[in-house]
Amino acid sequence: MSRFLLLFKQQMIHNSKLMLFSSVGFCGVVYIILVFAQLSRDLEPLDTEVFLNSLLIFFIIFGILYTGHSFPAFRNKENTITYLTLPASVFEKFLFEFINRILVMLIALPLLFWLTFNLEGYTFELFNGLGFNPVGISDFIAMDNPMDEIPPWALEMLVSASFLIFVLPFTGAAMFSKHPLVKTLFSIAIIIAFYVTFIYIIVEPLGLYQYDINESELMLFPDNETSGFILLTFLAIITNLLMLAVAFMKIKEKEV
Amino acid sequence: MIDIKQLNFSYSKKQQPLFQDLDCGLDAGSIVGLLGKNGAGKTTLLKIMIGLLLPTNGQLNVNGHVPRRRQPSFLEDLFFVSEEFQLPSISISNYVKANSGFYPRFDEKLLHKLIVDFELPETKSLQKLSYGQKKKFLISFALSTKCRLLILDEPTNGLDIPSKAIFRKVLAGSLDEEQLVIISTHQVKDVENLIDRIIMLESGRFIMQKDLYEISSKLNFSIVSSDEGEEVLYSEMVPGGYKIITPQVNGDSSVDIELLFNAVTQGSQKLKDYVNE
Repeated sequence: MSRFLLLFKQQMIHNSKLMLFSSVGFCGVVYIILVFAQLSRDLEPLDTEVFLNSLLIFFIIFGILYTGHSFPAFRNKENTITYLTLPASVFEKFLFEFINRILVMLIALPLLFWLTFNLEGYTFELFNGLGFNPVGISDFIAMDNPMDEIPPWALEMLVSASFLIFVLPFTGAAMFSKHPLVKTLFSIAIIIAFYVTFIYIIVEPLGLYQYDINESELMLFPDNETSGFILLTFLAIITNLLMLAVAFMKIKEKEV
Repeated sequence: MIDIKQLNFSYSKKQQPLFQDLDCGLDAGSIVGLLGKNGAGKTTLLKIMIGLLLPTNGQLNVNGHVPRRRQPSFLEDLFFVSEEFQLPSISISNYVKANSGFYPRFDEKLLHKLIVDFELPETKSLQKLSYGQKKKFLISFALSTKCRLLILDEPTNGLDIPSKAIFRKVLAGSLDEEQLVIISTHQVKDVENLIDRIIMLESGRFIMQKDLYEISSKLNFSIVSSDEGEEVLYSEMVPGGYKIITPQVNGDSSVDIELLFNAVTQGSQKLKDYVNE
């Protein structure tokens, strides 16, 4: 535990400036885009709906960018040597990176976005006096609960799949030394293209759609919406775990 | 401290093996010079020793550990100063604050002494230091960790003339009997009076592993006007005469490592036989 704290302390001291600049950069970009958004609405203050939609977009884009730059030491040989010879276990190094790149990001990005959104709203109010309603937790409670409309297991599937969006670039950053994010996206595109082609060949040219599976149920094959979501959730969780295991093994077996 | 048995290494299965059946034993309390031509595999061997590369087969034990496992207990007792390195853009004092805790035997007083000896600015950002200053800091930090195994790859590259002298002084004065230092270098003159064991690597094999006192008790290094004579084991023309190696007859002489290296690598069989007999 004390060694993990040492690792935490080391990373904080080494990267404090970078973290500060990154946060300021993120807030700056968000602020400017929100300003343009408000200008395009004839200065009408941005509401909770805009907040939620823009949060989702920024969260996904910047989240992928941030997790795609995990394991920064692997970007060059010299830092890789320093990182691998640092007296901490592989698990400690992996855990720190996972916390720093995924868990902290899941909390910090929405928080920074929320602060910037409200700051932008107040700044405009100072000049145009149109009255800005700050977005707070009470706004979300007051909203219609969207969960009521979501089918059972859909939320679990959504959370697992969303997590996978960030786990994939994280693993890619452990695997590729140069341009990890580009290579990760390219690899994912190839895998998806392969499966789409594969399924198309089975369904269309081989004519699988012509077969009638009768009334009997196929084992492990979902026959209704809920079991479909359960299967997809299960697959997403397995993929997440598998990708994290790959990242761990890449650090463990890394050679320079 | 380091025990290598029948070690083989190849970068890929298709390539010729770089090392074949290497055997070597190194004990604590010495400074070892690892010498070899460019591409002989010096850095690769050092990387294998610290677990950055995995041997194809064979046994390797360093300080009671198998390096490829890279366990924290193994890593906290070794420090590797590589030829090329990168330091974060923080001050020396912050770097020490961030990294010293990983090394249980870290000696902060020694570090301050070495920083003063090398005339390094403690408050300046590491990124603003010159390459030589960064290297001096890294060497100072490495010595202050008091790790049992210190590996220095080309440590004097980039150091100015006074710094090389200080480097020799601080290295000799900062070590204790529990430590082993391995220096891989082409600048043999920089470490001539420092090392007490020589390992020479060529074509994937150790062609010489000898303590310096053993060499000096067997070989005499001198400069003469003529290289004639049956007793001359190896000679090299230099301005004003010849550097020669002859069998030792009158006690010890200081070892000219460069001459010895040339003699051994250029295949003076007479000398090899004499030294290894």
